Parts: sequence; C-alpha cells; structure tokens
Amino acid sequence: MSFWDARFLWQEPLLAAVIAAAVLGYLGFFVVLRRIAFMSAALSQVSGLGVAVAFFAGSFLGISPHDPTPWWLAPTTFALFFASAGAMLMALVVRSKRVSSEAVVALSYLAAAAFVMVVLASPRIAQEAHEVGDLLFGNAVVVKRGELVQLLAAGVITLVLHALFFKEFLFCSFDPETAKVFGVPVPVMDVLLHLNLAVCVAIATKALGALPVFAFLVLPAGAALLFSERLKPVVALSVGLSVVAAALGYYLSWTLSLPTGSVMVALAACFWAVAGIKRFVELRR
Amino acid sequence: MSGSVPLCALEQVVIGHRRGRPLTPAVSLEVRQGDIVGVLGPNGSGKTTLVKTLIGQLAPLSGTVRLPVERTLRVGYVAQGHRPDFAYPLSVLEVTLMGRAQALGLVKRPGKADRALALAQLESVGLAARADAPFRSLSGGQQQRVLVARALTAEAELLVLDEPTSEMDPAAEHALLSLVSGLSASRNLAVVFVTHEISAAAGFATRVVLMDPAAKAVDVGPSSELINSEHMTRLYGRPVEVRRESGRTLVWVSGRDEPGATA
Repeated sequence: MSFWDARFLWQEPLLAAVIAAAVLGYLGFFVVLRRIAFMSAALSQVSGLGVAVAFFAGSFLGISPHDPTPWWLAPTTFALFFASAGAMLMALVVRSKRVSSEAVVALSYLAAAAFVMVVLASPRIAQEAHEVGDLLFGNAVVVKRGELVQLLAAGVITLVLHALFFKEFLFCSFDPETAKVFGVPVPVMDVLLHLNLAVCVAIATKALGALPVFAFLVLPAGAALLFSERLKPVVALSVGLSVVAAALGYYLSWTLSLPTGSVMVALAACFWAVAGIKRFVELRR
Repeated sequence: MSGSVPLCALEQVVIGHRRGRPLTPAVSLEVRQGDIVGVLGPNGSGKTTLVKTLIGQLAPLSGTVRLPVERTLRVGYVAQGHRPDFAYPLSVLEVTLMGRAQALGLVKRPGKADRALALAQLESVGLAARADAPFRSLSGGQQQRVLVARALTAEAELLVLDEPTSEMDPAAEHALLSLVSGLSASRNLAVVFVTHEISAAAGFATRVVLMDPAAKAVDVGPSSELINSEHMTRLYGRPVEVRRESGRTLVWVSGRDEPGATA
C-alpha cells in the first residue's frame, strides 16, 4: 500500500503532529529566549505524573485505563492540572531569585520522573503499566480524534492569547524590570505564558510523546535565531521549520519504517545544524 | 529648585525591602520639572531602592511617597546594569517602541503615530538612521542612548537612570549625560540618575542625594554645596579631594596620582 493509499491511517496523526509542531514551534521562540528550554522537559514529566495519578486514582474506583472515565478523573484533566500547577510553582520559585531556575527545573523533572515510576510500580496498576506508559508519553503514529481536538483547542487558545498579548510577552521577556515600571503587569503575563506553555506541553506530550514535544520547543526556534536577526522572520521560521520537521519526519518514518518521533527530532536537529553552518560561514567572511 | 511643578516627593520616608532592616534614616526629597538629581553613595547604600521607592515601584517602610493623584506619573526608566540580551532579534525601533507600553495599555498594538513618535525620539538621541539595525549590533553607548529614547517614547515627565554609564568609557559617559542634560533643559524633563561618578554628579546634577550608610545619614542639597572633599571623604570612607577649576570638577581619590575624573 502506497503512502497516499494509506492516508486514512495517517491523516489524523499527521494533522496532529503538524498542529502541535506549529504551536510548539511558536512557543519555542519564548522558551529559547527566556532560557527555559528544560522547563518544557520538566513539564512533560509533570504532566505524565498527572496521567499516572489519574490511573492510580481510577484504580480505587475500579476503572480500567481503557474504560471511559468521567471528565474529572480523565488523564488529560490530571495532566493539565499537574502541568499548570507545576508551571505556576516553577514561575513563582524562579521569581523568588533564591534558587536558580535550572535547579528548580531539575528538581521538578527528577521528582516527577521518580514519582511516575513509583506510581506505575503500584500493584494496583502494574498490569497496565505498559499501556499506561504509552499514554503517558504518547505515540506519534497513533493519535486519537479526541487528542486532535485538544491540540486544536490548545492552538486556538495560544493564537488568541498571543494575538492579544504578544507585545506584553515580548517586553516582559526582554526587560521585565523596565516593563514593570512602564505599567506592564509582569507577574500576570509571566503566569499566563507559563500556563499557556504548560497546557500545550501537557496535551502535546500525551498525543506525540515527550521527545518530539521537547524538540519542537527548542530546535526550530534555535535554528530560526541563527538564520535571521529579525523578529517576524524568526517567529515565522520557527513555526515553519517545526511544521516541516513534523510533516517530513512523519512521511520519512512511514516510507523508511523508522520511529516517527525520533525522525521528527532528527530533522529538527538537522535544521539547527544547517543554521549553525550558515552562521559560521557568515562570521568567517 | 529649578522647576516649578512638583512631580513626586518622599516625605520622611524610610526605605528598605519588605521585612528587611531600614537602609536609611528618614529622607525627604521633592523632584520638580526640570530638576536633575544625582544620587551618590557606596555599594549597598540603597540608591536603587531609593529611586524605586520614589517612583512608586517599592513601598516605603514608613513615611509618605507623594505621586500625582489625578493622573499616572509618566516615568522613563533605564535599569541598573541593563545588559541587552543579545539573543533577542529586535531592531532599534522595536526596542524603542516598547516605551509605548503604558500609553497603549494592554492588547493595543503600536500604530503609525507611535512609530513616528519613537523615530522622533531616536532622532533626538542621534540614532534615527539606525532604526532598522539590530539592537545587538550597536555599541554599549549607542544601546544606552536607545534605552533613553525608549524612556522618552513613554513621553516621560521623569527620567530615571540607574547607573546608566557604569559600562561606558569616559567619552561615551560624558556624551550620554550631556544628551540627557540637554533634553532636560529643552523639554523641562526631570531627571534622577544614580551614579558612582562624583564628577558626573558635579557636572550634570543640580541637586544631589548623598547616601551614607556608615554615618546613617542621607544628605540632600545643591551639588555645588554637597560635592566637596569633606562630604565625599566621609561618604566613601577614604580620602577624596574635590577641586573646581574653570568650570570643571577635578576629583582625586586616595591612592591615585592623577585626577580620578574630570567634568
């Protein structure tokens, strides 16, 4: 069966990957410039912990991971709640300036990763641990319709939020001290941006997996910043490169029978390498 | 006092950080249109805390901060040790336009009139021709001038510069302070600047605030009266000689053979 003939199989996963890549590629502009790249990795782990806890809680009510669950016990609800709470905590602790941001991120990552293992080792959900692991960190090959809708919603929320507050997000990121004097509500904007990031990471991680999400947030924006020195081209390139890595990565993984998420990440890394070479040549002139 | 309209004032204000010890005894200071106030003192004496309290960014431990009640005081601010983040792909004009944040409020984006205003302010600091250049491509002195233009784009009535020349060579420092002094005169703009350069305060400030943590004293007065050998020696805890010759201020700090600075 050719790639095109099998489109009924890949349409939705590909669309999900492209939407996630566009949203994460855009948010990556702020993630890279604010130097919070590893916060996204930590948020993936924290949202994964939320999913694990949802299953663990469900086991007490006799609900299997495969059964329909009420919304308040749904893995997505828990993932969103945990990721949002984690993002808020990280933002607040980092603002306190008593602990370095990288230490806070490392703590969140390690604690979440450890607790996920502890929860999954529980005899209550041990038998489903493998499936739970797949749900925890996604699988870019198979994406459910519900996850596609959630990704679309996350995309729309991001679009609206940044259409309204891009000016403020940029000022708060570049020069928060002056932004505050100029009347910009810096803490509110910081929390909004972190929550936006948390929601997108939580939803995208569940749909695609932690590795592609981390890669889309860091690699395209990093490459774009090497390709251009202008604001609009950098944002456009960050989104564009991310989408190309997702779409082309999906196609190549299908035709070459390679792991989907990994091919996407490898492509995104190649863009950075090309951008790095371009920059190096420019500096040598 | 050179100006006529008071903009903000501290009345018997004790400054310090929340739950922290007071940094100074009670201080009173009024800033009026056209004033140029220099704030001098050793490291850790509370200079930045004082200016942030003056513009309402920090709450005083006690006393009263007077700000206009019928409107928001438009403050232009250049932060201490502002090292531009070279990763940001921003043009000079885009940085300058950030000064419109307060006037535009949330959500609204800068329009043609805002761009025209920002360009006019870049013109006033001599950088209109570099409006489209990447901000990171400018020299340190030029970047500080852009930040002054950004503060002016806020249509500031009060310009606060926190150690604006700390990373500049003497020529760039003199050029920046001359520019600010000229803008103050032409626009009746009040300026408060924090500095470690005695000569800069003597040359450009009409009044100075001396923050002396060792003596637990804050002196406020005309720079011509307070910037002298006695006050500076007490302030910095080492022999400092200040001499005024032909309109310039010469400063010798103990341990140096040559004048430490001139203005």
